[in-house]
Amino acid sequence: MTILLDVITTAAILFVVAAGLLAIFGVLKIINFAHGAWLTVGGYCAVATTGMGLNPWLALPVAFAVGSALGGITEVLVVRPLYRRPLDAILATWGLGIVVGQLITLWFGRDVQFTPNLLSGTINVFGLDYSFYRLFMVLAALVVGLGFAVLLEGTRLGLSARAVIMNETLARALGIDTAKVRLTTFMIGTGLTALAGVLLTPLTSVDPDMGLAWLIGAFMLVMVAGSSFGALAVACLVFGGAQTLVSTFVSPVLGGITVAVLCALVLRISPKGFARA
Amino acid sequence: MTEATAPVPKLSLIEVCSGYGTVNIIDTLSMTVPQGQIFALMGKNGMGKTTLLKTILGFVAMRSGRIDLDGQSIAGVSPASLIAAGVAYAPQEHALFQDLTIRDNLRLALHTDKELKQGIERVCQHFPFLRERVNQKAGTLSGGEQKMLILGRALMLQPKLLLIDEISEGLQPSVVERIGRVLVEECRANNTTVLMVEQNLDLVLGVANRWAVLKLGRIDDSSEMDTGSRARILAHLKI
Ligand SMILES: Nc1ncnc2c1ncn2[C@@H]1O[C@H](COP(=O)(O)OP(=O)(O)OP(=O)(O)O)[C@@H](O)[C@H]1O
Ligand SMILES: [Mg+2]
Repeated sequence: MTILLDVITTAAILFVVAAGLLAIFGVLKIINFAHGAWLTVGGYCAVATTGMGLNPWLALPVAFAVGSALGGITEVLVVRPLYRRPLDAILATWGLGIVVGQLITLWFGRDVQFTPNLLSGTINVFGLDYSFYRLFMVLAALVVGLGFAVLLEGTRLGLSARAVIMNETLARALGIDTAKVRLTTFMIGTGLTALAGVLLTPLTSVDPDMGLAWLIGAFMLVMVAGSSFGALAVACLVFGGAQTLVSTFVSPVLGGITVAVLCALVLRISPKGFARA
Repeated sequence: MTEATAPVPKLSLIEVCSGYGTVNIIDTLSMTVPQGQIFALMGKNGMGKTTLLKTILGFVAMRSGRIDLDGQSIAGVSPASLIAAGVAYAPQEHALFQDLTIRDNLRLALHTDKELKQGIERVCQHFPFLRERVNQKAGTLSGGEQKMLILGRALMLQPKLLLIDEISEGLQPSVVERIGRVLVEECRANNTTVLMVEQNLDLVLGVANRWAVLKLGRIDDSSEMDTGSRARILAHLKI
């Protein structure tokens, strides 16, 4: 029973962490390797917010604002010239991630920082005491997933973004400002990633390399999921589940690399991953 | 109406050059499209008709010369702002999002959803078959129906200037006629100026006030529509 809850909550955490990367990859076809850095930025937003004595929940909007502002600057200065050169974009964002990590180290130091729990304690589910916060992550994942579905299917921005993915030339011929659509998408993706960084703080320690640990897993999941949030949810459940099982029954160290290894295997067998659409 | 009495033309091109790579496809081309008229641009395949429309919109860079809209130069104006200023474009190829619904295709022509309902209503009045199919994917329409949707979408904004690229390509005569009727009605109702690239002589003779033939990047011949036009155009388009 605990295992089942572990599987579901692990999947939810992975989903929240990878969602911003998927948003950017799905619409812009750019792999944002600075993803880890935005997670870290979010973590430090939590540190800064509580450091100023504010309500820890306030870190969520703060991180979204900071993340999307930094993302906006990144899009204009680094990513915009590289849409036609996706490999260079990977290198550039990777380098940017390192720079951001160093800046954070300069500012806050190397030390591990502590943040208060957003939600503490346990809650009784089916006669089991389970971490309240891990269950809350399931809700967070649902909100993020549904939020994206509504954004993409229900709003003009989403429609424009889909139009840009499908046929950019035609989108421009209809007067859609494709540069603005890209900028907005990128900002939403990085803002969301920083927000995910805040959500991670009760689960991991905050240090300048915090995001790096999550980057490879998120990257592999997105490669498997293609550009669909549904496929990402499935991938998180399958691979997150495997990770939980390996950690519990084999060894936590192996569990840590399960997602990456399994995703690589899946991609080896079926290069399109789970994305059939 | 003669050109001398027309005040400021809707669109004028003065010695425009543009092209791809090192080649000029459009080569010191000058032409004037008077306000409120339907202007047909004809010419053989590969002469640069599509390139000319793309140059006007700014999708192909103008290398020299000048393009004026309502007497104002549009050098450096982005395609998005031109379109927002009332220039609509119906492209020749890949003109629909096949996987989006008809409604979403129409919706993408507008800047906001405020006028969506009215716009769709207007388009459906012109092309009633769309009414029951607005929620179907555009890719499910037949070739001719797609062309009508393309024209309908270009009319969503009630444009001041409408650039149309070979809308009649591959259509049966009755549909061509219907498209011609819609164009004439729209022009009359909204004082829209139309620059249509067209190969279908009957459509041109039926709706255009003025025609021009593009050859080797320039206007080879041009005139108001009159009784001699048919023979003259035919002579130009002969192989
Ligand atoms: N993107 C491009 N790159 C290079 N050359 C191009 C490009 N697009 C068109 N051309 C060339 O420019 C010339 C004019 O093409 P354009 O499409 O403007 O002709 P057109 O008059 O519209 O022809 P059609 O009647 O077949 O539509 C052709 O020789 C074509 O091969
Ligand atoms: Mg053409």
